[in-house]
Amino acid sequence: MRYAVRRLLAVIPVLLVLVTIVFLVMRWLPGSPASSLAAAGAGSSSTSQITASEAQIQAALGLNRPVLAQYGRFLWRLAHLDLGTSFFGDNSVLSLLGQALPATIELTIAAMLLAALIGSVPGVLAAWRKDSPLDVVIRSCATVSFSLPWFALGVLGIVIFGVQLKLLPTIGRLPSSLNYAPTTGFVLIDAIVQDRPALLGPWLQHLVLPATTLALSMAGYITRTVRAAVLEVRGEEFVRTARMKGLTERAIIARHVLRNASLPIVTVLGLQFGSLLGGALITEVVFSYPGVGDLLVNAVLERDYPVVQGAALAVAALYTLVNVGVDLLYLVLDPRLRKGVA
Amino acid sequence: MSAATADEVILDVRDLKVGFTVRAGRLPAVDGVDLTLRRGETLALVGESGSGKSALAMALVGLNRGPRTEIAGTADFHGENLLTARESRLRRIRGARIAVVFQDALAALNPLQRAGGQVVEMIRTHHQVPRAEAWRQTARLFGDVGIASPERSVRAYPHELSGGMRQRVMIALGLANNPEILIADEPTTALDVTIQAQVLQVLRDLQRDHGTAVILITHDLGVVAGVADRIAVMYAGRVVETGTREQVLFRPRHPYTRGLLASVPSLTGPVTGRLTAIGGSALTGVDRPPGCAFAPRCDLAGAGCSAPVPLLRRGTESGHLDACVAGGQP
Ligand SMILES: Nc1ncnc2c1ncn2[C@@H]1O[C@H](COP(=O)(O)OP(=O)(O)OP(=O)(O)O)[C@@H](O)[C@H]1O
Ligand SMILES: [Mg+2]
Repeated sequence: MRYAVRRLLAVIPVLLVLVTIVFLVMRWLPGSPASSLAAAGAGSSSTSQITASEAQIQAALGLNRPVLAQYGRFLWRLAHLDLGTSFFGDNSVLSLLGQALPATIELTIAAMLLAALIGSVPGVLAAWRKDSPLDVVIRSCATVSFSLPWFALGVLGIVIFGVQLKLLPTIGRLPSSLNYAPTTGFVLIDAIVQDRPALLGPWLQHLVLPATTLALSMAGYITRTVRAAVLEVRGEEFVRTARMKGLTERAIIARHVLRNASLPIVTVLGLQFGSLLGGALITEVVFSYPGVGDLLVNAVLERDYPVVQGAALAVAALYTLVNVGVDLLYLVLDPRLRKGVA
Repeated sequence: MSAATADEVILDVRDLKVGFTVRAGRLPAVDGVDLTLRRGETLALVGESGSGKSALAMALVGLNRGPRTEIAGTADFHGENLLTARESRLRRIRGARIAVVFQDALAALNPLQRAGGQVVEMIRTHHQVPRAEAWRQTARLFGDVGIASPERSVRAYPHELSGGMRQRVMIALGLANNPEILIADEPTTALDVTIQAQVLQVLRDLQRDHGTAVILITHDLGVVAGVADRIAVMYAGRVVETGTREQVLFRPRHPYTRGLLASVPSLTGPVTGRLTAIGGSALTGVDRPPGCAFAPRCDLAGAGCSAPVPLLRRGTESGHLDACVAGGQP
């Protein structure tokens, strides 16, 4: 328990470093926010008018103050969860993230679960039938899957299932006709809280293509990891003990091998989460899925700095928290750690 | 148990061979071994590292079967040949009627499973017992093998127990289903001497109470002297001498056995000088010259030793056999 608390506290300095990096990057980015904002609002006005309004905007945003003062104000607001307001449309960044983040988390978790399913079953089979034709086939498929352009295949999926077969919706998260009003932002939870089971069908239909695309991009890697982990554990002496007990192969795999192999597998999955999150951001753009990636790309195109900054912070924080989650999961999985670190 | 059944042979091993395919060729780890095990007795299998003791024992319960293992011979267990029995059949024998206690309990126990849970699993694999009842049996068993506060220890994870306690868990596991045969593969080698003696005592007491036959594998003659009824001495995959404890320990015939005994001072009377270790090292390679495998290290080796493989032959006492061409005489 003390370890868990310590691990959670250790997040604070990490987040502080991340926040600082985001702050600096935003300041050093070419083209000041004020200039793009002034240009955007300018329409057909002259260059001198733009320069004048740029100075006004800079003063309004506090961008003419010393960097340290800006940094202090930035941290102060962050501590109050004040991420500023979008340059366009007066939405607070926090409320924009409040809508986008749950969508991204949903997509990532769905993809992770799907990838774990698609990836681990062949991984176990390949390890159990090591060097058999089955193993060779599975290993080749896993290797090939690394070199496939999954996001191009995502587009192919849109064309086949969405446009040609008209089986699945290809953009968005929920049809607007459903008038979804988020409570938590997570559709699955809201469907229960708001007692609207009708939300679930359309939600899943929208989730299938992006989640599958994302999952397939990672499944091969999981297959390789699971195979290696199972092979390693299979050689352990306690597996021989399990066999000595007279257990069936299936019981040996389920109760002894997989349980122990889950430790290295969780490690790798945790490390992979970063690239999965990155993949989710791209997938969202391909499928116009209203998550943080979609928000981020649009904000970058519009030079909507507060939103870019807020989205970057959110992604960084999510990534950090997942790593903490993985560490805490170890405590659940491995009793040796519980004792050792307490 | 009546006197009639006390002498009953429950395991009869004939010409057992275990060969491993290794890079250099085929390694004859066990090279034609005959053994008999009677109900309730302790048979010690003695020999130095690499002599094939574990390979033999694992072959009996089918734990080293695989594409790289070649097993031949017979091991008659109640009229059934264990060496050719189907895996599904062996599964019903393993853990229930023949169990194994492994050397390194820390490695042999699942680190993520509670000590008691591992025994419960063993019980419930072979008996339809409610979970709670299996846990009660396990706690009782933990008490029997001398584990302190068994009620609490059953819930401990292996790493939370001391080495001696872990080995007792291993023994409890082996005895959980009251097997006819317990194969103990160096059950005390990982422990320090005092704990070793305690654990052996536990094993011996329980064996007596339950009438379990034990195949005790060890390279420690001190252990053998304390607990064995009969002894088989293995060298390079073969049994070179076998007999009762008294015959082998006090009237050894084979030069290898004598060499082993000479290196254990307390057995051969008062310590008179420095220990005599046997010079040279055992043949463990793929290529074995014909004749006695011990000849290259034997003081008594003569011309007769390089001819065909010497067989176990009867000495002057019944049941005492050895495989020395020279009859142990210079
Ligand atoms: N699975 C295997 N594959 C290849 N060779 C093996 C295998 N198991 C054992 N061997 C070899 O067979 C020989 C006998 O090994 P075994 O484990 O039976 O010896 P042992 O008498 O039990 O020795 P120790 O006292 O060290 O346990 C050794 O040379 C060993 O290297
Ligand atoms: Mg061994």
